[in-house]
Amino acid sequence: MDLISILATVILVTTIGTMVIGVGAYVAFKLRDKRKPTGKRTDDTLNKEGPQEPIFLKRYVPEPTDQSAPDER
Amino acid sequence: MWVAIAIGGIVSLLYFSYASVREAKGSFSVLFESFVLSAISLYLLFFLALLVLRYVVMILYSFMDHVESMYKKRVAPPPIYREESSLPMISLVVPAYNEGIVIQAAIRSLLQLDYPNYEIIVIDDGSSDDTYEKAMAVSREQHDIPVRVITKRNGGKAEALNTGMTLARGEFILNMDGDSKLSSNTLRACIRHFENPKIGAVAGNVKVVNRENMWTKIQALEYVEGLAMARKAQSFMRVVNIIPGPLGMFRKTVLQQVGGYDSDTFAEDCDLTLKLLMHGWHIAYEPSAIAWVETPSRLLDLLKQRYRWTRGILQATAKHSHALWQPRKAGINCFILWYMLFESIMWPFSTLLGNLFFAYVGIQYGLASLLFYWWLQLTVLDVVAAAYCVVIEEEAPSLIFYAIMFRLFYINIIDVSKVFATIEEWRGHTMTWGKLEREGKL
Repeated sequence: MDLISILATVILVTTIGTMVIGVGAYVAFKLRDKRKPTGKRTDDTLNKEGPQEPIFLKRYVPEPTDQSAPDER
Repeated sequence: MWVAIAIGGIVSLLYFSYASVREAKGSFSVLFESFVLSAISLYLLFFLALLVLRYVVMILYSFMDHVESMYKKRVAPPPIYREESSLPMISLVVPAYNEGIVIQAAIRSLLQLDYPNYEIIVIDDGSSDDTYEKAMAVSREQHDIPVRVITKRNGGKAEALNTGMTLARGEFILNMDGDSKLSSNTLRACIRHFENPKIGAVAGNVKVVNRENMWTKIQALEYVEGLAMARKAQSFMRVVNIIPGPLGMFRKTVLQQVGGYDSDTFAEDCDLTLKLLMHGWHIAYEPSAIAWVETPSRLLDLLKQRYRWTRGILQATAKHSHALWQPRKAGINCFILWYMLFESIMWPFSTLLGNLFFAYVGIQYGLASLLFYWWLQLTVLDVVAAAYCVVIEEEAPSLIFYAIMFRLFYINIIDVSKVFATIEEWRGHTMTWGKLEREGKL
C-alpha cells in the first residue's frame, strides 16, 4: 500500500466519521435545546391545615461528632 | 452566454456518459448513476473554481487594503480631531443578559480606554442572575467616566441596543457585547474614520481570548481569517457586510435614520449593516481596534451559536432580497447579497456534497484517492489563507497548524449544522435566541 492510499483511507474514515459526528452533535444540540424543566415545583405545605412551624427560621446548630479538630483534643 | 456554455457543457457530458454506457451495454441503473455522478462532478468542478477565485480575490484585495492603510498613514493630513478637547463624545452601549460572571471585568476594562470624552451605558436586559447588581456595584464607584446602568424587561439584544441608542448623549455610539473586552486604543482608532462624511459606521476587529482547547483555537484561526482576509478585502471595496456585534461604532444620526436595530432577525448586526449599506452609507474596518471575546469551548455550544448565525444571516438576506434582483439599482449591494448567499448556503452544501460524493466513489469504486485529492486541494487553500492572515495580523504561527484540523474534522461538523439550519429556516421552523453560558475567561 503506497502513502497516497494510506492517507486516502485515513481521510475517507475521518470524513465519514466527522459527518456522522456532525449529525449526532446536531441531534444532541436540538434535544438539549428542546429540554424543558419537568413540572412546576409545588409548596409541600399547600394543603396542610392548622398552624405550621415556620421554616428557614430555625438556626442550624451542627451536632457534635466524635472526630474533633486536633487542637481541641 | 455563461449560462449557455454551462448548459452546453452539461449536455455534452451527459451525451458522452450515455454513449459510453450504451457501448458497455449497461442497465438503466448504471446509466442513471453515471448521469448523477457526472452532474455532481461537473458541479463540484464549478464550485472549486469559484472557491479558488474567492480565495485569490480575497487575498489580493485584503493585501491592497493593507498597503492602502499603510500608505494613508504616511501621507494622511493631520486629523481634524487633534485637540483633546475637540474630540466628540462617544457613548458605549453594553447590552447584558445574564452576563453576571463577566460584566464587572467588562465594565472595568471599558474604564481604562484611552479617550477623554465618553460614557458607558449598561443595559440589563431583564437578567435572571445578578448582572444588574454587579454592574451597579461598579457604577457606584468613583470614576471620571460616567457609568449608567439601566434595567428593563427582557426584550432581546436589538431592543436593548435601541434603548441604549435612545439614552446615549454622545454624537457617536459604540455598540458592543457584555462579554467583550476592548483594546485601549479602540475609540481613538475608530473615531478618525468619521472624518470622512460618507462613513456611517466602523467595524472593529474581533479576537478570541479563551484559546484553551482545540475548538477555541480553531475558532481563533477562523476569526483571524474572517477578519484579516474577508473583512479587509470588503473594506478595500468599502462594502463591509457585517459590523460585528462585539465592536461597531456608529454615527448616532445614522442609527436614528435607519431606525436602529430590528428584532425580526437573529443576526441584528448583519441586518443593521445591510440597512446602512442600502441607505448608501460606507462602512470602514479598523483592524487595530480589537474586541476580545469568549468563544464556545464545547461542541454543542458552538453548534448553537453557528445555528443562530446561519439562520440569522439567511433571515437578514431574505429581508433585503429585493436587492438580489436589482443589480442596476442596488449596485454593489446586489453583489454583497449574492456573496453572502454563496458563503451561507452554497459553500456548506457543496463541501458536504463533495465529501459524500467522494466517500461514495471511494467505497463503491475503490477510488479513495479522489477524496484525498479533494481534501488536499481544500486544505492547501486553507493553509495558504491561514499563513497569509497570521502574518498580516501578527498572530501566533502555531495557528496555521489548526488550518489542517479545521479541514480535517471541524468544518465537516459545522457544515452539517449549517445545512440543517438552512433547511429549518427554509421550512420556517421556530427558533429561540441561543444564549451561551459564559465561563468568565475575560
